[in-house]
Amino acid sequence: MDTETLVTALRRADPRLSRFNPLSRIYSHDEFLNGFCGWSQLVGNYEDTLDSMHPGYAQHLSPMLSTLGHWDAGSHGPLNDGHALKIATRPRRGAQNVALKRQTFREAGKIRFEAYFTFKPEACELQLSEADVRSVGFLFDLQSGDTASNPERVMPHLRFLNALDGEHIQKWQFKRDTAFRPIGDGTKTVTHYHLSPENWEDLPGGEQRLCYNEIPTKVNWTYLCFDFDLASMQALSFRCNDREFDLSGFESIHIPAMKNLWCMLNVCVFAETDTDKRAFLYMDSACISGDF
Amino acid sequence: MATEFTAIIARNEPWQETGATEPYEAGWAREAVIYARSLKPASGAGLTARVQMSPDGIRWVDEGTVLEIPEDCETVAMARVAHFGNWLRLSADLGDGGHCCLLLTLHLKD
Repeated sequence: MDTETLVTALRRADPRLSRFNPLSRIYSHDEFLNGFCGWSQLVGNYEDTLDSMHPGYAQHLSPMLSTLGHWDAGSHGPLNDGHALKIATRPRRGAQNVALKRQTFREAGKIRFEAYFTFKPEACELQLSEADVRSVGFLFDLQSGDTASNPERVMPHLRFLNALDGEHIQKWQFKRDTAFRPIGDGTKTVTHYHLSPENWEDLPGGEQRLCYNEIPTKVNWTYLCFDFDLASMQALSFRCNDREFDLSGFESIHIPAMKNLWCMLNVCVFAETDTDKRAFLYMDSACISGDF
Repeated sequence: MATEFTAIIARNEPWQETGATEPYEAGWAREAVIYARSLKPASGAGLTARVQMSPDGIRWVDEGTVLEIPEDCETVAMARVAHFGNWLRLSADLGDGGHCCLLLTLHLKD
């Protein structure tokens, strides 16, 4: 038996790991049984005063560990025991919140992000509320190693646009444009709000109807898998449940390399509300793996 | 080993006459400490904040603990809470013309 076959067999014999399909090495496998596993709040840049923080980041708050407790049915719970990571927006139309995991890569090869997630609005109305969450999504924040010949910072974004202005849309989108502005005197720190509402583009063929159970307190977990090559800085594949999407029309945000972010490998997940009601993104578990 | 986590429940948020933090789920923790630091001078007839708990994150009831909001930017105020179930928040009625701008940190331990 070769090593790959043995590793696959061992992983599939583990019920918790078996539902993932990691590459050869696992950076992290997060189930939120005993903690936050390094997922924290995305805080905005500032200099001298917190007033200089971009309002898009100033609205962000810390993630939570949740058993998805609801007023009518009690705790829903994650797929196994323990908790799910919860990212909650404020109750203001267009509000967003982001959680991220910061690391660096040790080899510029293929990486994979897998997760089981779900989303719901706050159950404060006795309504289906299927168009109350505007979007949920994820992004990588990457930068080449310091000896790369043409170093750049690259940020692939994918969001599921669930609804916009009350219309239930349900499609995947990506973003390739962002704009920078200086912080403080502009010589050391800059900011860019890459999750702003502008410049999202439809992923060709990206329409998908996800399972949205019949009241706001019923949830069903959804699987996603995104592959990216750190050598070519190109997206390789994207899957959500039973759908494999064509990424030939996908592009990432590409910006010049920054002077202090070498080998950065950040993974972010986010939620956005379309109404004056809190939107909740829950992540049951996640696995980040790579070929190295 | 016990798990500890620090959550930022308010950061540089101006409160005018009233204010409340966003609901925070902390059911895994057995104890909580809330620290309050004024980032700008605060004033008002009622510079106190009440710890509240909730069955669902939507409807709130006073837990009984009160925290003094510092008028100056040097003082750190603190409140200890235990036996709170799951949901926690801090709520304040600052009185007519009252205002504050706080950094509120929630320190949880199981």
